[in-house]
Amino acid sequence: MNNAIVIDPPGFIQRVLSVFYRHYKCYFKHVVANGFPPFVEPLLFLAAIGFGVGRYVNTIEGMKYSEYVAPGLLASTAMFTATFELTYGTHIRMEYKRIYDGILSTPIGIVDAFVGEVIWAGAKGLFFSLAVLITISFFGLVHSPWALCAPAVGFLTGIIYGALGLIMTSFITEINNFNFYVTGCCTPMFFLAGIFMPVKELPVVLQKVSYCIPLTHSVNLMRGLVLGKLESFHVHNLLFLIIIIPPVVWFAIRCIKKRMII
Amino acid sequence: MDAPLIQADCLTKKYGDFIAVNGINFSIADAECFGFLGPNGAGKTTTMKMIYCISPVTQGKLSIAGMDPRHDATRIKSIIGVVPQENNLDPELTVEENLQVFARYFGIPPRVSRQRIRELLNFMSLDKKENAKIKELSGGMKRRLIIVRALLNNPRILILDEPTTGLDPQVRHLIWDKLRELKYSGVTMLLTTHYMEEASQLCDRLVIMDNGTILMAGNPHELVNKHTKRYVMEFTRNGHNFDQQSFLPHSDCTVEIHGSRYYIYSDSDSILDSISKQHHITSKIVRSADLEDLFLKLTGRGLNE
Repeated sequence: MNNAIVIDPPGFIQRVLSVFYRHYKCYFKHVVANGFPPFVEPLLFLAAIGFGVGRYVNTIEGMKYSEYVAPGLLASTAMFTATFELTYGTHIRMEYKRIYDGILSTPIGIVDAFVGEVIWAGAKGLFFSLAVLITISFFGLVHSPWALCAPAVGFLTGIIYGALGLIMTSFITEINNFNFYVTGCCTPMFFLAGIFMPVKELPVVLQKVSYCIPLTHSVNLMRGLVLGKLESFHVHNLLFLIIIIPPVVWFAIRCIKKRMII
Repeated sequence: MDAPLIQADCLTKKYGDFIAVNGINFSIADAECFGFLGPNGAGKTTTMKMIYCISPVTQGKLSIAGMDPRHDATRIKSIIGVVPQENNLDPELTVEENLQVFARYFGIPPRVSRQRIRELLNFMSLDKKENAKIKELSGGMKRRLIIVRALLNNPRILILDEPTTGLDPQVRHLIWDKLRELKYSGVTMLLTTHYMEEASQLCDRLVIMDNGTILMAGNPHELVNKHTKRYVMEFTRNGHNFDQQSFLPHSDCTVEIHGSRYYIYSDSDSILDSISKQHHITSKIVRSADLEDLFLKLTGRGLNE
């Protein structure tokens, strides 16, 4: 057994990808169960809106209400999956399954492990928005080949909300306290991001709040891509998402590093 | 002699005001099995964690294969295998998947790791369990699997934090056997344990720690010979009331009393025999003094917590 394998320690990218691989492997082991929510939830949403609210709303910005709402769901699903993955998910991996005790005893360091987590959150954002895209396409709600770029926006959304979730995870030690973040922050963002009605209908103060929410920019982009109505302000939305990623991820890694060092 | 593989000078770890490891010095040679003994909270695990670069050194110097944990953590960790105190297998993955995923952390390509995994599972008699889920494994199997996992990178240094705690004697002996094989193949081992028999069986040298400091260091058999008497007679009071003074005329005896249990140490078993006759002690044990006696002498028989 001593056919002495001498292997150089893996480089940064390889280390990050090996952590990503672990999450990928765990997720796709139960792909049917894990794939169920993103495919089925938009169905329920569209049913409720199509048969319910939609009958009371004639058109919104010149389109059927379900056409207006559906693209926003690509963004919100990416936000929620990334949030849950890096709050409850990371907390459970850290405190209950003690996955990181094992990982960190290998050449993987804290930065490698959590950059891997954040990229995994991005990948989940991508898968989930892709799943929603497939579902809504069966309802004739996708109007442009630009929609194929939508999962990439889901990736950026996942990175941002994964990193925000990780910041919470670095402070929260009691699992029930994540409720404050999810219900207290993410749910309001969901309602203020212009998924259900145009942001310009909100009171001025809330319009300003809405502008600061990454999800708002993600929703705008998704709508432009899915409906094929791209305008110059979409470039602004895209830049907003891209520009905030480095500081948010940097801060998240810094916080979790503080938490993990013993 | 070659330069030591691991060298600690004045190694210190503080958590706020609490000093977990207080300026200890030791050096470990290549292919040596080195033990850390001590009661819970003595600083053994913390010392181990500094060596495998999970816990930053507060003060002092630590060198591992000529490298400094502050700057070369990735390189150091790639030559170390760790068997942690608590099992931390990935419960979502099967036995083989656990090992595959771990091999990737070390950058071992899958075609190399597949072969290696098979060999190591054989080595630890787990070859039929490749596809088992972690929760289907017994405690002994989990422990053996953790050892397999620690050997994936063919480590130069193997860290064993209480490797056999809570296992039945069969598994314990199997693990000792395998560890001895590894030692002969040139792996340097660092071992913490609460089983003195384990330490005597495996360690070339050991340190006994308490409260973050090293109380004694050396070869286990030499330490016992040097610091304890050869024999000990143990008995329980059982209604008699022995005065400690009554044993004293036997010049070369030492007496320890803990609760209702008496321990009389002497270099001569005939002296112990005559004491037992003289005091009509019937149910007694006379045995050779061992590492446990030395350990308890140094760290006290009372609870440390």
